[in-house]
Amino acid sequence: MAVVTLEGLSKRYDSGSAQAVDGVTLTVADGEFMVLLGPSGCGKSTTLRMVAGLESITSGALAIDGARMNDVPAKDRDIAMVFQSYALYPHMDVMGNLAFGLRRRAVPKAEIERRVRDVAATLGLADLLARKPYQLSGGQRQRVALGRAIVRDPKVFLFDEPLSNLDAALRVSMRGELIRLHQRLKATMIYVTHDQVEAMTMGSRICIMNRGRVVQIGAPLDVYRRPANTFVAGFLGNPPMNLLPARVAAAQEGLEVGALALPLERAAHLPPGMPVTFGVRAEDVAEVPHPRAAGGGIRLAAEVATVEPLGAETILGLQIQGSERDVMARVGRDSRARRGDRIEAWLDPAAVQLFDAATGDVIPA
Amino acid sequence: MLNLRSLVRAGTILVLCVYTAFAAGPFVWAATLSLRTTSEIALDHFALPGILHWEKFPAAWYGSNYHVYFGNSLFVVLTAVAVVTVAGAMAAHCFARYRFRLNRVVYFAIFSTIIFPPQITILALYQILVQYGLYNSLVGLALVYVAIQLPLTVYILESFFARIPSDLFDAARMDGYSEWEIFWRVSLPIAFPAIATTVILNTILLWNEFLYAVVLITDDNNRTLPLGIQRFMGDQLEDVGMIATGLMIAIVPVILVYAFFSEKLIQGMTAGAVK
Repeated sequence: MAVVTLEGLSKRYDSGSAQAVDGVTLTVADGEFMVLLGPSGCGKSTTLRMVAGLESITSGALAIDGARMNDVPAKDRDIAMVFQSYALYPHMDVMGNLAFGLRRRAVPKAEIERRVRDVAATLGLADLLARKPYQLSGGQRQRVALGRAIVRDPKVFLFDEPLSNLDAALRVSMRGELIRLHQRLKATMIYVTHDQVEAMTMGSRICIMNRGRVVQIGAPLDVYRRPANTFVAGFLGNPPMNLLPARVAAAQEGLEVGALALPLERAAHLPPGMPVTFGVRAEDVAEVPHPRAAGGGIRLAAEVATVEPLGAETILGLQIQGSERDVMARVGRDSRARRGDRIEAWLDPAAVQLFDAATGDVIPA
Repeated sequence: MLNLRSLVRAGTILVLCVYTAFAAGPFVWAATLSLRTTSEIALDHFALPGILHWEKFPAAWYGSNYHVYFGNSLFVVLTAVAVVTVAGAMAAHCFARYRFRLNRVVYFAIFSTIIFPPQITILALYQILVQYGLYNSLVGLALVYVAIQLPLTVYILESFFARIPSDLFDAARMDGYSEWEIFWRVSLPIAFPAIATTVILNTILLWNEFLYAVVLITDDNNRTLPLGIQRFMGDQLEDVGMIATGLMIAIVPVILVYAFFSEKLIQGMTAGAVK
């Protein structure tokens, strides 16, 4: 049982400087895998370090299971952390690294031995116990770092970009291992990353941060489908959501995007002439003919500017008259489109998101 | 191609041989002198020893009070090196690890003291030691040694501690260790190569130290080895043979320390102690 509550958590390094973390309020439920996601410098790591007790809290409250933790030293919070650099003690072998935390906690020797061997066996480290960190590969070091956290059986696990030093293939397999680990331990975990794929695949919920503030919290698919503002829309997804400057049309129901007039019922209740940002995901744009296009929707003429065949799918960059930015479209792998082709594109009006151009916030449908 | 390579190799070996002869020559010469009597030496300075006068070593050791000088040197140097290593490492750890006001100011204040030549500080030191009743005492000399070697020790160790990734300390804190334990169980073992460097440096420097010793020690029973050797240098007569024997006795511990710690030093560096 461990519920972590952050209430208005803030961090300011020097009295003159800006807030590194600004009023983060977040509740991580028991057994939840919460991912803090954001670009580098957004305050996610600092937030995590405040939870860990490695960084003092300037203001706000941190509680674990309702008990205030602001002034409790890191070692008494019953939290384990996995660092990006693994932070293995170079002068100790794997056994020593795994046992180091337990030795301090006056766990009997036989018990330490048993727990270390247990964890080593589950992580595939049993044959490496006598090795020093410099004799291990990146993936093995990562496992040792993970094992060091697991062996302590803490209330809360913290991960600070643990996979970012691994190569791409290893990262994918470690991602799977971490997901299984979470399912097995059912522990509360807080995971910091700037990698949206990690966030989408691993998180029970994602907390997106920008400039020290929480931008949006929600289940991965909810956040993906219903971004709270243009920052989230442009950050999540690969390619990110298409965001085009637009204006509510004065004459008829719809929008003016570039030189195009798009019919859109939802724009009807907005004041004519209001500047908005028009957002649509690449997978909601298609090349006509397309089964989804048969039931109506918005059709527009476009010129193919770029073609990125990815194997399983192809990403087209479409140039629309009068718009500076290309609209990215995720089309089937058998698309025949070539650069310079003039095609008819279709987009799903139900998937369109409108954002206030001034604030960037989403305009509710 | 092969010829050129072996030529280069031969040249390198030749240069190394010449340099070794240059560096080791005086040492070997002193070693031969240590086994010859002064009258033999007077006949021919560079002859190899005909009869090996091993008895000169016990004669110097007991007859010329070397066992006392040796013990004094051992006490002073061991004490000073132990204190300077522990105190220096602690100071360096703090300077490298903790953010506090005036961190850099204090650090540079300590480091800047190395610009003063000993001739400037020695008068003041003399007066201080006299006032505190430490003049002519081994403890007093050891304290002076600690003071003069501390800045360099802090400087060397600070730069090393600063390179240890801070994640390691954070991990140890999460593992439940106090700052004090982290210093002993994480910082020190990781910094062992740097510590070995300072131990070698300080031991050799202090073992051979003469100026402070000659000013601050007058009692024969408190002399350190360099002062003991100096005793054989009279105005009229110099017992060259005995001086050489004394030198040999004095050199042995330095070689032992170097051999032991440099082995560890190389081990530490090749083992990738950090990262």
